[in-house]
Amino acid sequence: MRRRRIDGGRYAAAALCGCGLLATLLAATVSAAPAAAFADPQSPGVGAWEYLQPQLYGDRPIGYVDEKFMSMQAPTNTQDPAMTPVSLRFGPGAVGNIKQIRVIIDNNPIPLAATFNLAPGAPIAAIDLRVRIDRFTSVRAIAETTTGRLEMRSVWVQASGGCSAASGAASAGKPGEIRFRPSPDDKSLQVSIRHPNNSGFQIDPRTGNPIRQFYITHIGLRAGGQPLLEADTGVSIAENPTLRIVADRRLPTPVTVAAIDSDGGHYAATWDGTSSHGDVAANGAADAARAP
Amino acid sequence: MRRGAAAIAYGLALSVGGLLAGRAFGADARAAFNLRQVAPGVYVHIGREVLPDAPGHEDIANIGFIVGTRCIAVIDTGGSVGTGRALRAAIRRRSRLPICYVINTHVHYDHVLGNAAFASDRAVFVGHAALAGAIVRSRAFFLQHFAADLDAPATSGEIIGPSRLVQIGHPLYIDLGGRRLRLRAWPTAHTDCDLTVLDERTQTLWTGDLLFRGRVPALDGSVLGWLAAIEHLAQMQNVELAVPGHGPVARDMAAALVPERRYLKALVDGVRRDLGQGRSMQQAMQEVGAAERSRWVLFGDVNPRNVERAYAELEWQ
Repeated sequence: MRRRRIDGGRYAAAALCGCGLLATLLAATVSAAPAAAFADPQSPGVGAWEYLQPQLYGDRPIGYVDEKFMSMQAPTNTQDPAMTPVSLRFGPGAVGNIKQIRVIIDNNPIPLAATFNLAPGAPIAAIDLRVRIDRFTSVRAIAETTTGRLEMRSVWVQASGGCSAASGAASAGKPGEIRFRPSPDDKSLQVSIRHPNNSGFQIDPRTGNPIRQFYITHIGLRAGGQPLLEADTGVSIAENPTLRIVADRRLPTPVTVAAIDSDGGHYAATWDGTSSHGDVAANGAADAARAP
Repeated sequence: MRRGAAAIAYGLALSVGGLLAGRAFGADARAAFNLRQVAPGVYVHIGREVLPDAPGHEDIANIGFIVGTRCIAVIDTGGSVGTGRALRAAIRRRSRLPICYVINTHVHYDHVLGNAAFASDRAVFVGHAALAGAIVRSRAFFLQHFAADLDAPATSGEIIGPSRLVQIGHPLYIDLGGRRLRLRAWPTAHTDCDLTVLDERTQTLWTGDLLFRGRVPALDGSVLGWLAAIEHLAQMQNVELAVPGHGPVARDMAAALVPERRYLKALVDGVRRDLGQGRSMQQAMQEVGAAERSRWVLFGDVNPRNVERAYAELEWQ
């Protein structure tokens, strides 16, 4: 039961306001979760991790690795709490040897932001994502290798406000439109899914009530007909969920993305690798189909 | 570096000012609230160039008032109730006329948190049609991050929203007696609730944060919308004086808009170039706008966020 709450980001009460505007509503979340999950905001190094570690990894030892194996970049002082970019990079010793990475934001109401399950031998050298950061927190990535070793990196991120706009300028548009942006060397590909990713705690200014929860729960990527990665995603992922995958070689094509949202909507698109580079708009919107 | 220097400089000013105020029983405290009559009956207080989390952050925006023969309109109230009170005291040293209107140019804390200082004036609070919702959304955030800038205990009731709204495409005229103000609501630009105020008598335009001078513009709305607004502003005829949201008052508004337009254009061009090359948001945040660095105050602290927002906007173009 507890496990389900924190894993997969599908727990019904999962909620996070994108703009750090949820002070009045935090109480509801706090009462639904163990007090240990909410640390003193002056001590971002602990937060939910002490509670989550035994939940997710039992008493298995976790190594604190150096940058050569895995590194993580996030702005120390987040520029926009609703959209903080986080980069995970994997060294030569890690590429192809990692089977799972979890990204955890200790002081968010739902700390588990994403779980990436990598296909065996996936040549992934970096993953970029964008998350919501509610307040001063540790952001950590835990990698599990194919041999069962656990390695962790973490950074502190200060979310210091400035976010009074509810959503970004690109918030309009049809949910499920999917865009691909490859780099000129075809080694990296950004996949963006237009979706409000409503946490359930953002406030509708017209009514004063929370906006209904509606977010992407799963993103699957295939490259060259083979699985590349499967991501379980939660409400800590920013509006218009975006993943950027960097490989250590040319990504085989076609690349397909299949996403599911919390209403059961299915969205899919394919990049055939022959489109011009840069502003590539894929056929995602046309492929998007809502489940009954 | 720049941020540290600014914070230290202000810290010094604060401690010296505190000493003087302590010894002179408020005479110097009054003098410390700068206020200038920039046109007949138009008064401007120029805010400080510090960050929203630095000492002095409650006084970073340009705020002021316009005096008619019948009553007074306040335009923005500062980033704390105390700043609003200092403005009100400055008004009362110059006029006993009633304060009929409190106009907010947009939702940012440095322009609205002083509103409560005018609660007892029975003023009409005026703003962009979208300001009402923006205030509702922002209350919890303001209480969380700026509680010390409100009267204790800080309550959401102190964060006063507009009771009269201005719709896009439908200017609102306000008569202060002998002079009329024209209030115009803009499509999303600096924020989603930007409002400008034109004093028709002196042709003074309060731009709110549609115009930044010196301090690097902060993007919280739409970079393309902001550039479109700049085109409109630059074409406005007869404006004699522009009061920006931040930085010195300008005689030549079109000229004053040039650096801001150049900077925002650099954001758009740089982000589009990076998008075209498949470069990530993080990479763009590190490189876009670099040529503008030496031309703005607080650039390093604000530019990455601007790039981030421009990237998120333009990637869906």
